[in-house]
Amino acid sequence: MVVDYEDQHLMMKSNSLKFGVPGLRFIAASRTLPGPEDAARLLHPIMDCLTRPLTEEEKKSGLWTAPYNRVIFEGTMEEAEAFFQQTKYIGNPVNAPLNIYTDGLPVVLPTEERVKKMLTGTSHKPDEVITLHEDGRQGKKGQDVMFLPKLRSATVEQVAINAVMAGCKPADLPVVLAIAESGVGVGTTVFFSQWACVSGPIAKEIGMNSGIGMMGPGSQANSAIGRAYQLMAINIGGAMPGVNRMNFGSPFNTAGTCFAERTDALPPGWKGLNEEHGFKKDESVVLVGLATGGIYGAQFSPGGYRSLQRSGHGGVARRMGVKGTPGPHNWLEYIVPDIWAGREGGFIFVMAPEMAKHLHDIGFKSKDEVYKWLYEHSFIPLGKYRLRSWPDEAPTQGWLGVERTSGKHWKDLSDDYMVPLVSNPTQNCIIIAGGDEEVCLQIAGGRYMPDPHELDRFGAIAYSIDAWR
Amino acid sequence: MAEKFKFLNPQGTDEPVETVPLAPRLTSLDGKTIHFCVTGEPDLTIFLERQLKTEYPQVNWTVKKSYTPVPQRLSDEERKTTDAVILAVSW
Repeated sequence: MVVDYEDQHLMMKSNSLKFGVPGLRFIAASRTLPGPEDAARLLHPIMDCLTRPLTEEEKKSGLWTAPYNRVIFEGTMEEAEAFFQQTKYIGNPVNAPLNIYTDGLPVVLPTEERVKKMLTGTSHKPDEVITLHEDGRQGKKGQDVMFLPKLRSATVEQVAINAVMAGCKPADLPVVLAIAESGVGVGTTVFFSQWACVSGPIAKEIGMNSGIGMMGPGSQANSAIGRAYQLMAINIGGAMPGVNRMNFGSPFNTAGTCFAERTDALPPGWKGLNEEHGFKKDESVVLVGLATGGIYGAQFSPGGYRSLQRSGHGGVARRMGVKGTPGPHNWLEYIVPDIWAGREGGFIFVMAPEMAKHLHDIGFKSKDEVYKWLYEHSFIPLGKYRLRSWPDEAPTQGWLGVERTSGKHWKDLSDDYMVPLVSNPTQNCIIIAGGDEEVCLQIAGGRYMPDPHELDRFGAIAYSIDAWR
Repeated sequence: MAEKFKFLNPQGTDEPVETVPLAPRLTSLDGKTIHFCVTGEPDLTIFLERQLKTEYPQVNWTVKKSYTPVPQRLSDEERKTTDAVILAVSW
């Protein structure tokens, strides 16, 4: 039997069916009662679940199937608009109607003809199942990709249908297929902010915006690909707030986000995302991530930044102790270590080209040198580390595990032992994007690290787009 | 009359699942081995563990804690000697 929370019953039912035990008994703990009181309340119901004789329904075995009907609706465009906009009322904890097939906004209706045209964007067959092109978080190369939370599989055509609905063009499809290869994560109990960044020649080929406003409206490719990311989570993965996803939703963007890297603006010696992830400069990849810890940005005004670098004036210069001394200065000192004030782990630093150039000019001749600097400046005393939330679970295995820099058990270390807030220098990631305005955005939830002690189990991973052309 | 079209299904494919019945329930707790599997941050489970052991001393309790949403699995040998499992999810 399972103890969960009442608002997670629908999620538990869905998961227990997927794992072959649809009759699993579960009871709800309280989210608010004091622990001892709630435990006393639950004791006998728990034991009742273990001893109460099985019902006839609970004794059944069989094969659960949910046939996939390729044509979901036949009718006029007007009738189809109503069909695809239909909602379902979700009770507690939502208490509102939610759209079944869309993000709430109207979609491009997926007629057979439109999907056929979309499929001209790839050489892959419509009935090909989405599989992994490399070993990764989900498994070995060649394995079918499972889409959370309903652990579904998908074909190239099913991805193309979502691409049509999102407003993609056929040329965008390889990017959407590469995002699909990620399994389109939505977290465990959270509908995370979904973001993706394209690196390589395809960005220009399909007209993506990598300059100013790259995360905002106005670019068909950026907006439609980002929206397809989210629509795939809803339709292919079956994610629905209150049913199998909890929490607020995406604070980043209501329709997923996709933008492109400014490979033309990389400082000398700095690699683009494609090369950083083992691909060639002329290969196209997409880094697929989730903002697991939220979005940080606008730490300083662009004018304040210019004052720092051009003349050594302003609050940034005062804090950094360089008042009166023109730059370039290491502006990262302004945001580190405070960036980890609320949460540990890697960050995706999306910085304007000029800001990367300043880092290069003061001596960071590669991204790796910046990663090393960030890592070295993330250390805090263990006594302070103990006062944080997330370290209580995976990172320290409930303080019973081994601290990775010392190789010693956490309980054997003194309070003044210095521990890093980032587990590995390359858990952080730099993306050069944007225009001339001096802005750096930080997405909490860095690169994926294959380690069960990691806080960010959904860190960003790069997928080949060319493999899906 | 407006033209009619066929619209394709954007949903993913649910693979067939072989379902199994629930394990037979316990007719008595005396001398039985019940495994308490704890996931996530310690909270309610601390008190549940204490109170279960106090209230049901006739049970042979075993406990594993994972401190993540993923439970620690029982070994094949442990499965042979375990009569029931309580999985406490704190997420």
